[in-house]
Amino acid sequence: MRKLREKTKKAEILTLEEAIKKHVKDGMVVAFSGFTGFNRNPVALTWEMIRQGKKDFHVIDRHGSCCTWLLNAVGAIKIYETDWMGWGEMAGKLDVNMERHYKRGKIILEDYSHGAMAMRFLAGAIGAPFIPYHAPLGSDLYNNKYDALGKAGLRDGKHPKIPFKKYIPMEDPFWKDGLVYLLPAARPDIAFIHVAQAGDKGTARWRGIGTIDKELCFAADKVILTCEELVPEAELRKNPEQNQIPYFTVDAVVPQAYAGYPSAVPFYYDYDAPFMRGMDAASRNEEDMKKWVDEWIYGPKSWEDLMTKVGVKRLLELKADSVIGYSTRILRGKKPAPRMKMPLSVIRSGY
Amino acid sequence: MAKSIDELIALIDAIPDVPAKPGEYILPELMAIAIANEVRNDDIVFAGTGLPMVGIMTANFTNAPNALLIYEAGICDGKTMHVPMSVCDQRAANMSSSLGGLVDTFGYYLQQGFVTLGFLGGAAIDKYGGVNVTSIGDYYMPQHRFTGSGGNSDIGTMAHRTAFIILQEKRRFLERNEYTTTPGHWCWDWKTGEWRPRKEVWKGTPFEHCGPEAVVTNMGTYRFDGNGEIYLETYHPGVTVEKVKENCGFDLNVSKVKGETRHPTYRELFVLREFVDAELIFLPQKVEYPPDVLKIINS
Repeated sequence: MRKLREKTKKAEILTLEEAIKKHVKDGMVVAFSGFTGFNRNPVALTWEMIRQGKKDFHVIDRHGSCCTWLLNAVGAIKIYETDWMGWGEMAGKLDVNMERHYKRGKIILEDYSHGAMAMRFLAGAIGAPFIPYHAPLGSDLYNNKYDALGKAGLRDGKHPKIPFKKYIPMEDPFWKDGLVYLLPAARPDIAFIHVAQAGDKGTARWRGIGTIDKELCFAADKVILTCEELVPEAELRKNPEQNQIPYFTVDAVVPQAYAGYPSAVPFYYDYDAPFMRGMDAASRNEEDMKKWVDEWIYGPKSWEDLMTKVGVKRLLELKADSVIGYSTRILRGKKPAPRMKMPLSVIRSGY
Repeated sequence: MAKSIDELIALIDAIPDVPAKPGEYILPELMAIAIANEVRNDDIVFAGTGLPMVGIMTANFTNAPNALLIYEAGICDGKTMHVPMSVCDQRAANMSSSLGGLVDTFGYYLQQGFVTLGFLGGAAIDKYGGVNVTSIGDYYMPQHRFTGSGGNSDIGTMAHRTAFIILQEKRRFLERNEYTTTPGHWCWDWKTGEWRPRKEVWKGTPFEHCGPEAVVTNMGTYRFDGNGEIYLETYHPGVTVEKVKENCGFDLNVSKVKGETRHPTYRELFVLREFVDAELIFLPQKVEYPPDVLKIINS
C-alpha cells in the first residue's frame, strides 16, 4: 500500500558529493530528468553516483540518456524498465554497453512504449494506482510471454516498487471504446532533476520543453535537483506561472553550473554533439570504453575539473544564444549553421 | 558562392521546379523529398528522430508550410530554423505555439486523436506494415537488441495514417517479424492468440481505421491494398523491379507498379541543401548543382 507523505519536505542545499552520499543507496529505483541524451540530463549527479561506487540500480524511465549511458558504461544498472533504450539519437542511437550487458544476462530489460511510460508517470504523479491507455493492440509489448520482471520472479509483492502485473487488458466499461490496457503507476524511489534555476527553498524552473519532469517530482519519493543557478526564492515568486516544481517535493538542491553537460540546457548551453559521438565511439570497444571511463569519470578531481578538461573554447562554442536558446556557433555537422532570421516556412507562408 | 541568407531565400522561386537527373542528387535526398511529398498542408504530423524529421522539415519548407509539427518531447507547432538532431532539441521548439511534455504529446494530442500523420523509422517491417524496432532473434536472448519502441508503437497506431522510412534488405522486409513492436494491418489478437486483421483487433476503439499508409525505402515507395498487404508503387531511379524483389523476404506484389519514383526537383534540392540540412549533418555528401542551376545561384 502506498503511504501518505509524512510532512512538508525541507530542501537542503548540498554539494554533489553530499547529496549522493546522503540520499542514494545501492539498488534504488531511479529516474532522470530531461529527454534522451540531449536535453537537461542530470549528468553531474549520475557521474558522482558512479564515483561513489553506487550500483545495482533499477532504472524506471521513459528513455535512455547520458545518465543511463554512464551507468551502463560501468555496469551499474540491474533492471532497466523503459521504452527507448538508446541514448543519443543522432549522435549515438544504440547504447552499445547496454546491449553487451543484456546479451551476457547482466541486465533485465522491461519494454513499454513511450506513451505508456508517460501515462505511468502521470498516474504516479497524481497518486492513481493505475491508468487506462489505448496501448498498441497487437504489439508484442503486450504479449504475456514478454514480461521480463514477471519471468524473473520479481512481481511477487516483495519489491515495493515493482507492481504485481505489467498490464491488464480491459474492455472500456464506461463508454464502450473498445479494449484498453490498464498500466501500473510508476513510483521511483528517487528522481534526479536538472533545472535552469532553483530558489533557495527548492522551487524550480526550466525553460524549453517540459518532458515529464514535473510528473517525476510528484511520482518519486525523493527528489534531488541540480540547478545552473541558485537564485533567491523571492525572485522566482515574482512570476510563479513560470515555475514548474513546487518546493515541497524537493529534498535537496545542488547548485552546479554545467551539471547537464554534454546534454543541453536551453538558454544556457547547447548539447555537445561531437563529445557525444566520442562517447558512442568509445563504447564500441571494451578496451576503449574502460579508458574513457578512467579518463572522464574517475580521472577528474571534481565537476569543475572535468569542465576544465572540456575546455573554455568548447564551452564558449556551446554557450546558448539568449534569444533563441541554443548555439549557432557549435559545429554540429560539416558546415556552420546558416544565419537564419526567421523560419523559412513562416517567411513564405506565415503561421 | 557566399550568398547571404536573404539572397538565398530570394533565389528559391528562381530555381527551376523541374526534375533533376540521376547523379545530380544522392539517394537520401530523394528519400527525404519522397517523405516530404506524403505531408499535406493541413496535416498534424508527429515525427520520429532522423530522416523522418528531415523529411517533414523539407515538407514544411516546400509543399506543406502550414502543416503542424509535433515533436515527442512536448513541442507543438515548432517553426524550425536549424535542423534538430533530436526530438527534444531547442531548435525544434523554436517559435512553437506551446511547449508541454510527454503527457501533452501522447495524451492531449495523440490519444485525443488530433494527429493525422505519423512519420517513423524501423529496423524491420512485415508484409502488412508491422514494424520491429525491438529485437532480432529470441526476445530474451537476441542476436541484436535495438532501442525498443520509444513512441513508434503509440504514434504508429494512433495517428490517422502512418508512413515509415526503412532501409530495404531481404532480412528487413519479412513475411512476419520476430517481434512486432508496432502492429500493421494484420497483427496479433492476444485474446485468442491468433494473427488477425488490425481493424478486427482494434474494433470499437477510436483508432479502428488508423494504420500504415506508405513506406519509403532506399529502393522504392510502397502502399497497402484493401487486404492491408504492402505493394510496390514506384521504384527509385537506377533500381529495377527485379532488384526490389530480390531485396524482399516475401513474395512482393509488384502488379500495381506505377513506374519510377519522381525525381526530386532542383528547387526541392535547393531547399533541402541550403535550408534544411545546411550544416551537412544528415546528408554529409555534397553533390554539385548542374551548371544551369549554378548559374542562377551565382547570378
